[in-house]
Amino acid sequence: MDTIVGIINYIVFFAITAGTYGILSLGLNIQWGYTGLFNIGIAGFYAVGAYTAALVSGPPPGAWDGRIFGGFELPFLVGLLAAAVVCGIVALLVGIPTLRLRADYLAIATIGIAETIRLVLKNESWLTNGVWGLQQIPSPLYDPIRAGVTRFLGGHPDLPPWLHDLIFKSYNWFYLLLVLGILFILYLIMQRLVRSPWGRAVKAIREDEDAAAMSGKNTFSFKIQALVLGAMIMGIGGSLYAHYARFISPASFKPLYGTFLVWVMLVLGGSGNNKGAILGSFVVWGIWAGTDFLTGYFPFTATQAASLRIIIIAVLLEVILLWRPQGLLQREKRPPTILKKKA
Amino acid sequence: MQILSRIPQLLIYGVISGSILSLGGIGVSLTYSILGFANFAHGDFMALGAYIALGLFTLTAGLGIPSTPLGPLSFGFGFILSFILAMGLTALTVVLIDRFLFKRLRHTSSIILMMSSIGVALGLRNVLQFFWGPQPHYYIEKIQLAIVIPGVGVRIKPDQVFIIIAAIVSVGLVHYFLQHTKMGKAMRATADNMALARVTGINTERVILWTWVIGAALAATAGILAGIENKFITPELGWQMLLSIFASVVLGGLGNPYGAILGGMIIGLSEEVSTAFISTGYKPAVAFIIMIIMLLIKPTGLLGKRR
Amino acid sequence: MSLLTGEGIHSGYGDMEVLHDVSFRIEEKEIISIIGPNGAGKSTLLKTIFGLLKPTKGSVTFKENSITGLAPDRIVRLGMAYVPQVENVFPSLTAQENLEMGAFIRKDDFSDRLEEVYELFPLLKERRRQRVGKMSGGERQMVAMGRALMLDPELLMLDEPSAALAPKLAEMIFERITAINETGVSILIVEQNAKESLKLADRGYVLASGQNRFEDTGENLLANEEIGQLYLGG
Ligand SMILES: Nc1ncnc2c1ncn2[C@@H]1O[C@H](COP(=O)(O)OP(=O)(O)OP(=O)(O)O)[C@@H](O)[C@H]1O
Ligand SMILES: [Mg+2]
Repeated sequence: MDTIVGIINYIVFFAITAGTYGILSLGLNIQWGYTGLFNIGIAGFYAVGAYTAALVSGPPPGAWDGRIFGGFELPFLVGLLAAAVVCGIVALLVGIPTLRLRADYLAIATIGIAETIRLVLKNESWLTNGVWGLQQIPSPLYDPIRAGVTRFLGGHPDLPPWLHDLIFKSYNWFYLLLVLGILFILYLIMQRLVRSPWGRAVKAIREDEDAAAMSGKNTFSFKIQALVLGAMIMGIGGSLYAHYARFISPASFKPLYGTFLVWVMLVLGGSGNNKGAILGSFVVWGIWAGTDFLTGYFPFTATQAASLRIIIIAVLLEVILLWRPQGLLQREKRPPTILKKKA
Repeated sequence: MQILSRIPQLLIYGVISGSILSLGGIGVSLTYSILGFANFAHGDFMALGAYIALGLFTLTAGLGIPSTPLGPLSFGFGFILSFILAMGLTALTVVLIDRFLFKRLRHTSSIILMMSSIGVALGLRNVLQFFWGPQPHYYIEKIQLAIVIPGVGVRIKPDQVFIIIAAIVSVGLVHYFLQHTKMGKAMRATADNMALARVTGINTERVILWTWVIGAALAATAGILAGIENKFITPELGWQMLLSIFASVVLGGLGNPYGAILGGMIIGLSEEVSTAFISTGYKPAVAFIIMIIMLLIKPTGLLGKRR
Repeated sequence: MSLLTGEGIHSGYGDMEVLHDVSFRIEEKEIISIIGPNGAGKSTLLKTIFGLLKPTKGSVTFKENSITGLAPDRIVRLGMAYVPQVENVFPSLTAQENLEMGAFIRKDDFSDRLEEVYELFPLLKERRRQRVGKMSGGERQMVAMGRALMLDPELLMLDEPSAALAPKLAEMIFERITAINETGVSILIVEQNAKESLKLADRGYVLASGQNRFEDTGENLLANEEIGQLYLGG
């Protein structure tokens, strides 16, 4: 029974993480899948979202803290919205100098901003407490739920131990519902959006920017909007991570790895398809977690195993690009034009 | 005034790091101009070169090839031999990566190639990490005394003079190749207009091959020189410089190898001089901000005009 | 046997077919002119002949070899050269480097040929060290034609060589085309400037909406009233 409880708890943990990645993947889908914007600074936006939420909803600086600012203990939803807004502003600042240029410039600029954000998090202790990070970020409704659970378990002392253990951890069930609920709401919003005139406009830009510009669309403005919107969604993902992990530090946001996983998720699931984006995040997170078990069976050191897992994901990406560039779920209707020959 | 007195010394450091950035940047620029994509794996080609040289150096030492330091330098013949062989082996590896991967994706789009290069970057870095681990490996154990240049009072080590000379020689060779050899001219022609190059009878696949060979050999050079300067290497060596390299290339004009050299020098100097005023940790951010300012003023860069 | 023949060519870009069943032939030493309105598919035809586009149907034969779908760098080796309508020079190379590129596949010394091309376009010799990107339209056109002539081709295909040139320069270019033809090179020329090109052509084709509409000698086409009204501006 213990192993089953362990497995169930692991699945809950797994689904919370995969769901959070699903949100990032949805955010990237609006940028890349629908508009064709190559953002490889996802980790940066994710980090900004997490830190913003932690500063807005977390406790004020303690005695041990290098901070002199932040920690307003505002409600969870306020922090979530603040995370979205701040990410949107960062995206705006990156987009303005780069979105009139070729895609390569946006790519370089987004990786640059992600790296710069990491440096700021590390060095600006007055705001971020430097490498020590932010601690004791409250999980929403944690205390009432735990109180209820304790009261319930106190009233039922004769429960079998495994059930006792499951119920004891039921806060995670609540958090899972919260993450999946937000994921689902975002999915519904995105689905409506991509079918709206706005969605048709950004898709037209993805297909052929010059043609879209010639038909009188302000492509720059649409691209900025898509970049900002996607970044806001990533910020929401970041805030959900902060409230679940309860502790964040610059080391949680290694610039390329997080970004890379999200890209593989979207590309594997099928860019330009919101269901694909979510499917991909669960599949790739499954593979990622699976390789953790797998490498455990070989006589590798921990760092070797970690490297091997990244190599596997990198190979997976190349395999998809070579043999199934459309991903698991194809785009709705029109064929992917990124596969068209360049003139 | 304390700050200002440090500047001459920082300028020397800037020239050294600028030399390394320029060599990395030439490769990024050549690949961009011929194949049309920003190669995110270039930093890891640098690390690959540095590790291949390390492996070969261990091998030459094992074979009894002398490595007594040459003159004032802290390394000897065995190291220089490994250096040169590593350039070749890095080029070979990169050509194989092109054959099996980039070549097959060339008919898609530049963004797909860019995405693929990110996969290569992470894959390669972790292959290095798998075999050598994340910890630093020492290139040179010996501590070298700096020479004080009389009058200005700045210090420079013989190894650092070697780095600057190696960079000047490499840049000179690249310049000779591009301006005075048939393949170099064909490379510039292909960068101008690939379709016209084919119509003219230029074997563009050969041009692409040469682009990779030169870019990779220079990447290996940059990686090894960075190893000499830092005295140690890690698998992250190239990645840590990639952002500054991209900034150099964009500053000089994406796709123009001469721009990459100019941009590399400017970025190298600015990064080092900035440490007199702000935290050393912000070096990559300095490069990034210079790049963004350039994009706002003139997106084609200092020397660029195309695209 | 004709030097170059095309039979029943269908070709286009992606899903869009531009040429629907086009046929033509060129005899040795002939000048052939292809005229037609904007968007008729003239450039598309030349790109298809030269392997930049693959025909979906039909065949192209050069000196009795099928070159249908052959890559451009292979076609060059058979003795055919092509000057595209736009972007037909390497702007960051000097004039002389452009010409050297024209001889890329030659392994031997080509300095004699270079001198011959300079004789044809003396201006280029003066400007040989200048970057072509800084040159005027007429000079660029000379560089482009010179580049194509470096391999001493048997057939030269020119896509609108006089487009956007001042009348005097255009006249000069036409004069050079005749001179090149007199050295034994067959010429396939596509022109907006239909009257001028038909004057020097042995035969001409009229292409409209991706199909050949007329084929006759240059003189007859010029005299044809219907063509005159439709394509030669009355
Ligand atoms: N690269 C391309 N991709 C897609 N369609 C193209 C391309 N080039 C030309 N077309 C289309 O093919 C058709 C024929 O074009 P083409 O350039 O062959 O005409 P043309 O007869 O040479 O005209 P012009 O006298 O203007 O040069 C046109 O409808 C044009 O829009
Ligand atoms: Mg045309």
